[in-house]
Amino acid sequence: MKDRYYAGFMTDKPTWSEGLAAFRKQALVLIADIIALIYLWFMVSYTWNYFAHHTRSFATLPWWVMLIVVVEAAALWQNYGVSIGMKLVGQRLVDSAGRRISPDKRALRFLLWHLTPLAIISLAITTEWKPWHDRVTELTMVGSDRVELAPRPWYRCSWSIAVVLICLSTLIAAMLITRVDLHALFSQASKTRRIWGQVVRPDWSLLGKGVRLLLVTVFMAFVATLFGVVVAAPLSFLAARNLTQGLVGRTVYTIVRVTMSIVRSIEPIIWAIIFVVWVRLGAFPGVLALFVHSVADLTKLYSERLESIDPGPVEAIRATGANRFQVILYGVVPQIINPYLSFTLYRWDINVRMATIIGIVGGGGIGQSLIQYTRVWDWSAATVMMLLIMVVVWLMDYTSSRLRARLG
Amino acid sequence: MAKRPRKSRSAKPDTFLQRVAALKPRLYAFLLDWGSWGYIAYCFMYLLNRYWYVRHVNFYGTLAVPAWAWPIVVVGTLELAVLSHAFGHSVGLSLFGLKLFGPDYRASSWQVRLRRYLWWHLALPLQALSLRKAHPKGLLVHDVRSESRMLVVADIQEELPVVKPRKWYLTHRGLMTVALIGLTFWLGWMTTQINLGTLFGRASKSAYLWKALVTPDFEHFVTPDPQLRDSIMGGILESIYMALLATLLGGVIAFPLSFLGARNIMGFSRAGWLVFSLTRGFFNIFRSIESILWAVVFAVWVGFGPFAGVLALTLHTIAALGKLYSEQVESIDPGPLEAIAATGARRWQVVLYGVIPQIVPSYLAFTLYRWDINVRMSTVIALVGGGGIGRILFYYKNEVGRLSNAWNQVGAVIVVIVAVVWFLDYISGRIREKIT
Amino acid sequence: MTKHLIVEHLTKIYERGEVLALDDVSFSVEKGEFLVLIGLSGSGKSTLLRCINRLIEPTAGRVVFDGIDVTAASSRELRRLRRRIAMIFQQFNLVKRSSVLTNVLSGRLGYVNPGASAIHKFPKQDVEMATVNLERVGIPEQAYKRADELSGGQQQRVGIARALMQKPDLLMADEPVSALDPATSHSVMQYLEQMNREDGVTVLASLHFLSLARRYGSRILALKDGKIVFEGLPAEIDEGKFKEIYGEEAEEVEVR
Repeated sequence: MKDRYYAGFMTDKPTWSEGLAAFRKQALVLIADIIALIYLWFMVSYTWNYFAHHTRSFATLPWWVMLIVVVEAAALWQNYGVSIGMKLVGQRLVDSAGRRISPDKRALRFLLWHLTPLAIISLAITTEWKPWHDRVTELTMVGSDRVELAPRPWYRCSWSIAVVLICLSTLIAAMLITRVDLHALFSQASKTRRIWGQVVRPDWSLLGKGVRLLLVTVFMAFVATLFGVVVAAPLSFLAARNLTQGLVGRTVYTIVRVTMSIVRSIEPIIWAIIFVVWVRLGAFPGVLALFVHSVADLTKLYSERLESIDPGPVEAIRATGANRFQVILYGVVPQIINPYLSFTLYRWDINVRMATIIGIVGGGGIGQSLIQYTRVWDWSAATVMMLLIMVVVWLMDYTSSRLRARLG
Repeated sequence: MAKRPRKSRSAKPDTFLQRVAALKPRLYAFLLDWGSWGYIAYCFMYLLNRYWYVRHVNFYGTLAVPAWAWPIVVVGTLELAVLSHAFGHSVGLSLFGLKLFGPDYRASSWQVRLRRYLWWHLALPLQALSLRKAHPKGLLVHDVRSESRMLVVADIQEELPVVKPRKWYLTHRGLMTVALIGLTFWLGWMTTQINLGTLFGRASKSAYLWKALVTPDFEHFVTPDPQLRDSIMGGILESIYMALLATLLGGVIAFPLSFLGARNIMGFSRAGWLVFSLTRGFFNIFRSIESILWAVVFAVWVGFGPFAGVLALTLHTIAALGKLYSEQVESIDPGPLEAIAATGARRWQVVLYGVIPQIVPSYLAFTLYRWDINVRMSTVIALVGGGGIGRILFYYKNEVGRLSNAWNQVGAVIVVIVAVVWFLDYISGRIREKIT
Repeated sequence: MTKHLIVEHLTKIYERGEVLALDDVSFSVEKGEFLVLIGLSGSGKSTLLRCINRLIEPTAGRVVFDGIDVTAASSRELRRLRRRIAMIFQQFNLVKRSSVLTNVLSGRLGYVNPGASAIHKFPKQDVEMATVNLERVGIPEQAYKRADELSGGQQQRVGIARALMQKPDLLMADEPVSALDPATSHSVMQYLEQMNREDGVTVLASLHFLSLARRYGSRILALKDGKIVFEGLPAEIDEGKFKEIYGEEAEEVEVR
């Protein structure tokens, strides 16, 4: 019950009336089942289309046929066994008097299930969930924690079989979608013979140029990380649920979180393309791209850490009469300095890796040279660059993990 | 040799190897300090180049330095490193937890430290010749001559009095850290050609870009573009499945490899150590190169297309997951293993019943994390010939001159990428929460 | 004579009516009293203490401290009031990674210049007062250690030193000794007693063990399910009252 003491930090959970809650659960179960079955349908369709018709398409029968079949199948599944949705949400079908459920009762429930829309209307009027298929057959769906679950091996449960089918079909479809061609893999190895021939004779004369490019790459990562920290650290306070209260606070929190999520979903390489249009080629767009992505990633990591601080010391400092700023400085900050440093080092490591490849889109640094050499098939030069990249990334990784271990 | 009263606890004289081992932290600290002074010297030389010696630097990072400057730099940085070590204040020393103490663990006076400094020049060459003789482990000639010791603080923590620590920014290591960061920042600003003028000056000229990006054109969302013979939907599905397959394969292959890369499973025989080192080395090498660079090679091998992307991602995933997995194996609780071994189970049974249940949740969490990263990578791996949605993105970006709504199409692709990556990120985060 | 602290009809409801933490609690405290709150876990003792200095906002009711209405105070007035009310906690609530000295000095945060405290610059007399207070609780040599390196009893003493820095009129202790062993409990309670007798600080402590309450309290207030079920002298609690407070199966445990 210790949550109760931090009324300033925690919000109250909304209470639903019982009827609405029960309906929500059933709806969730149905939705989960429908999604699973539709997905299975798509995977099987694609595979069928590929092998039988030699086309690549996810659709076989018209969409309304699929919908009807899937909904019916879901309802049937729920009544005759434990469906995926029931397993995920945690529901089981029980008899109100504890008797064994006979198959004809299940059939009756399945047929009556189609009258659900009437039950929904009555729910809206009376906020009570008593659908006909439950009332007549005296069966209800209850939470799985209230039912004695006999352990069954995986091949006897319908939901686990369904999961296995979904996984298998996904695997097969994935191999088709990504055009896995094992034949090419094993027979065309000779194409790469030229490459290996040059790889074992690296062009060491380019070492000086490579080191200079490497320096630029590391500097790119460093500057991007530094600016990223400077912007992300204060921003993280705005994105932490426990520090932003009130209407204004909530709005700011939502805006910051959403923006950062969007920015974070776009890889730095894509950002680099955008920035190349803005500031022209060179290392600068690479720095900007890394900076923007770092701010988003660091804000997320920082704010997640802020949300899990120990509220005790914060409470104690509030109790001494300190103002909000002092509370943060003396209660929150000492707790988060080490984790923040640790995340910064982690991000620096990633930025160095990213910086090595951001050159591909014209972002400067060693990546640019590397790609240019591969485009002209000068693999000896490319090998030298690759070796340098390997060395520096490994060094950064080692240093950052040792430092992070020291930070605890 | 005159006998000295020793503080060593064992009755046996310290072996050569033991003495070397005890000196290792000091050696590493010294190399680190020499390196950091060298780096500071490089920064200074670069700045001198830039602002005074050679105004026009036509290649970033280059130094134009007369030949006579190099020996001065080398010797100078060496002296500075020795000076910091002699006086007991340096970045390397604090990183390795070493501190200078006089007799009875008290701080030494500056005269003592000066004597250390001077003796070092005589001592070290002599020491190198005679490391096999005389001094107990951890001591060098200049230690003995100036009656001060360089000790690892963690070993003697309890015997030290608690004193008021100096403010971090007033210590040597604090100042050096600030200097290193500041210099790197300055140099970084210059070498990466940051030009805020360009940024703000061209802002209005590139406004059309932003406007187009936020008004996406979903023309080819599901209907394939005839030039590409693919639609955005097809592309993103390709990417998702590329990442899925790569993560699955990578995880399956990395699983057994991780046991080969775990110290506590392999470390019992010479052959075991060899396999361990090879596996760890393999992981490190292939982790350092991002998947996109491997895709270059695979695109040649199996041709352009998503298969090359899958192979590249798989290779990187095996190495990355292998490292994470083996670290997890190394950190398991040995208690249950002991218990199971005590029942008389065979080695593989101990692994199956003792090791595996402990590591499954973390393995799943790491695999999900990796899947997330692979999805992000798969969005851009088309740049070098892998498949996926990147192909569509870069195609439209290249059509900017010809198509009027090219940037809008790019915007559409970006919107889809953001939606998918965000969604998968959210789901994998929730599942990971549930697992751990 | 005005009472030091008056609590009128204090009520606290959580989760939209589902949890009634405090139910119409009313009592008053004289200056210099050592009032002990007893009751089962979850009976509302912690909530009551936190409502008095508004770390938790009460749903209804009034708290009047030294003639000033706490519940109606603005945030500035509230901070002024909070610096006169010190609080120590069951889990000590020290900033673990900061030094003991910084933790003690943070008791003066309500008094010092906000700008100066931003760079950790406390006035010299505050630093001296911190050293004196650390000596008073018997741990002057721990001043520069990290707070989490100390034992439980030592950490609670740091908490007391922090409270002393505020030069409080009222000290509230939320189960200060529940996390400590019996011998250390007594030593901590004796510091509170010393503050009560020598500095004239009114003490409002919630305790788990009735024997401690009897030994140190001048008056006892018992809570059950958010309501006051007993208010009076320690000696007045007999077997019957005890079972009423703690429930039918409870038995008294001595803390020697």
